[in-house]
Parts: sequence; C-alpha cells; structure tokens
Amino acid sequence: MENIMDSAFVLILLSGLRLSLPLVFAASGGYFSEKSGVAQIALESFLLIGAFTAATVAYFTPSLVLSFLAAGLVSVLFAQIFCLLVLKMKSHSIVVGTGMNLLAMGMIPIISKTVFNSTGSTPTHALNTLPFYWVYLIAIFIGLISYWLSEKTIWGLQMKFAGEKKSALEAIGVSPLKRQWQSISYGAFVTGLGGAVLSIFMASNYSPLMNAGRGFIALAAVIFSGWNFRKSLAICFLFGLSESVQIQMQSSALISAYVPSIVVQIFPYLLTLVVLFVFREKSQAPVELG
Amino acid sequence: MKFDRKKLAPWLGLCFGILISCLLALFFKENPLHVLKILTTSFFNSKFDLGLTLFYTTCLIFSGLAFSIPLKAGLFHIGSEGQILISAFMAAYFGYALQLNFFLSLVLFIIGTLLTGVLSASIISAFKVFRGAHEVVVAIMLNFIFAALSTWLTVNYLQNPESQNPETALLQPPLQFLKDDFLKNYFEQSAVSIFFLVAVLACAVLQFLESRTVFGYQLKAFGRNPLAAERLGMSRIKMIFTAMGIAGFFSACLALNEVLGNSFQYKVGFSPQYGFIGIAVALLARQNSIGIIFSAFLMACLHKGASDLDLETQFLTRDFSKILQALIIFSVAASYFLVETEFFRRKGKT
Repeated sequence: MENIMDSAFVLILLSGLRLSLPLVFAASGGYFSEKSGVAQIALESFLLIGAFTAATVAYFTPSLVLSFLAAGLVSVLFAQIFCLLVLKMKSHSIVVGTGMNLLAMGMIPIISKTVFNSTGSTPTHALNTLPFYWVYLIAIFIGLISYWLSEKTIWGLQMKFAGEKKSALEAIGVSPLKRQWQSISYGAFVTGLGGAVLSIFMASNYSPLMNAGRGFIALAAVIFSGWNFRKSLAICFLFGLSESVQIQMQSSALISAYVPSIVVQIFPYLLTLVVLFVFREKSQAPVELG
Repeated sequence: MKFDRKKLAPWLGLCFGILISCLLALFFKENPLHVLKILTTSFFNSKFDLGLTLFYTTCLIFSGLAFSIPLKAGLFHIGSEGQILISAFMAAYFGYALQLNFFLSLVLFIIGTLLTGVLSASIISAFKVFRGAHEVVVAIMLNFIFAALSTWLTVNYLQNPESQNPETALLQPPLQFLKDDFLKNYFEQSAVSIFFLVAVLACAVLQFLESRTVFGYQLKAFGRNPLAAERLGMSRIKMIFTAMGIAGFFSACLALNEVLGNSFQYKVGFSPQYGFIGIAVALLARQNSIGIIFSAFLMACLHKGASDLDLETQFLTRDFSKILQALIIFSVAASYFLVETEFFRRKGKT
C-alpha cells in the first residue's frame, strides 16, 4: 500500500514539474517587463505566437534549435508592436496588452489558413519523439541566464531602476526607455520559448488557444511573489503542481464521486484567489509600474 | 471657438486602424477595397442586418459603460466578460425556474439577474478594498472561473434536452414576450429589442449623473486623486464598491439583452468577447457616456462587417474581426500621442 502511495506522489510531483515548465518561461518573461516598469498582460499572445511558430517551423524543418529560435525571434518581432506603442507613443500598457492578445488570437487562424488551409490545428510535426529531458535543460539554462541578468549584472540593476526611479537612471546618462525596451524584448523572447515548449514537448502540434490562460497565470505568479524572481519561479511550480493534482483528481474515481468536476476544473484559478485572499499583498510593486 | 484636437484624435485613430486592416488584407490575397466595402456597407444590406447591428450596438453600449465608469474612478475593470456570462446563465435559470404570475416573475427575474451582475463585480472590489489585491489580476481569475462555472452549470443542470449544443432550456413562455417587440417587428424579427432604447437612455442618465450631480463629481475626483478625495471625506470603500457595482449592473444588462431580448436562453459562447470590445468602445469615446452610443454603433457595424467576411472572401475568416479590433485599439490608444506631433500641430495653427 505504501508503495502505491509513494509512486502516486512521485507521479504528481513529476507531472507538476513538467506542467510548470511553460509557466516558468512565461513568468521569467513577465518578470523582466514588470520589473522595468511596464505592466505586461500580453504574455498570452507571446505564448500563442511562440507555440504557432515553433509548430510551423518544426513541421517544415525537423530541427529543435531552429524551431525554438524561430519561436523566440518571431515573438520578439511581435513584441516590437507593443514596445512602439507603449514606449514611443506613451499608450496605456494594459490597453495595448489587451489589443496584443486579440491580435494574436485573430492573426494565427488566418495565417494558418493560408499556410495549411485550416483554421484549426496545425499538422503533427516530427519532433515529438525527442526525449523530454531536453526541455528541462533549456529551462534550467534560461532560468540561470535570467537570474544572472537580473540579479548579478549592472544591466539588471539599471533595468530595475527604470521601474523604480526613472530620474535616477537619467541622471547617470542611461535612457530608461532603452532599458525597458531591452527587457520587454528579452521577456518576449523567453515567453516565446515557453510557447515552443507547449507545442513541441507538451503536444505534437499547435491547437487553437492551447496556452489556456497560462500567460495570465504566470503574470499572477510574478505579482504575488512580490516581483521577486526566485519566489515567482517557486510559485510557478506550485501552480504546475496544482494542475497535476487537478489532472490526478479528474482520473481518480474516488474523488470524482465526491468532488464536482467544476471544482477540479477551476482549481488553479481558485487557488490564485485564495492565496490572494489569505496573504495580503505587500506593496512591493515597482513604483513606475503602469 | 477653440478647437480641441484631442477630441478628434480617437476618430483619426479609428480611420487609421481601418486603413491598416484593409491593407493587411493584401497579405492574404484579398482586394483591400473589396474588404473595405464589406466592412462598411454590410450593416445596412437589409432591415434584418440593420437590426442585428443595433443589437450589437446595444451590447457594446452596455459593455462600454461597464468599462468606462470604473475607469473614471481610477479602476481598470477588465472583468465584465465573466460577469456577462454568469449573469446570462442566472437569467436563463431564473427565467426557467420562476413560475409565478407574469408580473411578479418578470420583476424577480430582472432583479435576480442584475443582482448577480452587481455581486459578481463586488468580489473584485472586496479583494481590492480589504486585501489590497490588484483589480486586474482578480478580474482575470474571475473571468476564467465564471466562464467555466456557467458552462458547467448549463451542461449539468439546465441543458436543453432538444439540442445537441451546450445551451440552457428556454425561458417560460410568458417571459418570451419580447418576441412581439415593436422594434423586432419593424426590423423583420432581427435580434434587436427594446433594450436598445434602454441602453441609449442609460447613457443619457449617466451623462446627467456625471455632469450635474455630486455623485458624478465625487467619482471623477476620486479617480483623479484618491488621497485628496479621502481627505475631503469621500469613503474609498464606498467609491470603489459603487463604481464596480455600476459596472456589474451594466454587464448584467448586456446579459438581459441577450437572454430576455434575443435568444430566450443561455447559449455557451454567445459572446464574441463583448467585455473586451467594450474597452475599445469606451476608449474611442474618451469615456464620454453620450459618445459611447456612437462609438458602439461604429464598432457594431465593423463587427457585423467582419463576420460577413467569412462568407464573402476566400481566406479571411471571422477572426479578422479580432485583428480589426486590435488595430483599432492600438491606433486609438496611440492617437493622443500622434496629434501632439509636429505635423498635426502646424496644421492646427493655420
């Protein structure tokens, strides 16, 4: 009996780790943008664009590096619209972010129709046979780079100053807009990679809205970590774990007899609200966030 | 008379957005002029089409108000989509379950629906006021929860047995009295109903409240400077709950328009994200309650046109409507900056 419990526990833990991967990418991306003082709700669109690009490239050329790079770069290109509007034209970042999400949701089906003649899923690519540990390597690599960039470099410090006190940055002759632009672009690149993880490792093609609100959940993780990089990754893992508990609950006959399926379905969102309710949010938001 | 360029800015932005979307059609092997023609003319092809456009207008007026009123109090309310869905479901439930005499059940039906909207919006304000949470995060989570909840309740408890689609049973026959609405009859049984007039009236009432009463002044003062407003004796809790409550009220009005005025049931997926299009509507009108009527009508025409693209063109699908909305949101948001640039300034002086 103990053995069975043990293996179920390990199973949940492992699948939680696996499910938190796209969140980790998206949260690292969101962290950079938010910390530099630009509210970022367009993570959802970067994930979608990344996922679609990766699946398309992987279908035509079965190369892991190429499809990941393409996902990141196309997502950076896409993010330039956001940068142009928010940084150059001083528009409200949440308004523009809403528009970005709409744009991604509208553009992908039309592009997909011209390329594959179907507005739904893309055809299956050949990369789904790769061993899964590759993606952990990529995640660890990106996580370490992001941590080093934000915590150990002068660039990271300046990026945070752009979010806390712009005038201080201007006084030493660094343009805060430039730091914000760089950190949004880096964030978009990382989030795009997260999208690639979704369509290459967690599925074998792109299907519409496959990110299922993960961009928003990653943003929530950044916000209630109190804009702290390490804590936000830990919270992403908690979310992944809750999602895997949810999947286990759905398949367990014992639980589904007593708990209505809706509770299981909305578990991650409910958990977010409960956490928000129990732990009063400390005001550690970057001062210039807006 | 002093001419304010800023008032013109969103409309310039709108034209620019439409222009860009039509040019974008070139990439998808379509003639931009053909696309432009469909977008701009399909709303008055027939009386029925015009009625449909007015129905969209009604919905967008309500969702535009649901965004603009909290914004005046400094709150960024993107949760109306969830509130619309849950109150539409509750409306369908009340309409199915209430079997009293006609007048009593109608009153209870309307009050129940509006209350659902207000309460669901109050969750956001409660989190904001008592726990210091950011309203955008709470609204995002609630959108997911309400969407899942209303679908689940529909499929498990109120599914229409005569249909394969996920939708609730019809309202009790007496409550379907708007089938015989004079507006509906005039527009050849289209989707529009008396709620169109209600929406226009609501805009007028709000305009009056904002510009002529103490309440409106308090709302705007609180939005401009919450600290100063509190020092002058306005309660922060009261202002946030009222502004959000009004937003929830209008989300519920949109639900009533759909359930009582059009389909007489709750269909899963009836809303093409009205809550988010409402943001564009409110921004286009610069949060002016009367202006919202016109911007809602414009967006409704474009929405109607974009959904006709599906039939009329080979490659563009109804998803083009989302691109169009996005581009309009972008260009309207950026237009305030653009009119302040050198080019427009010189033109304004002559």
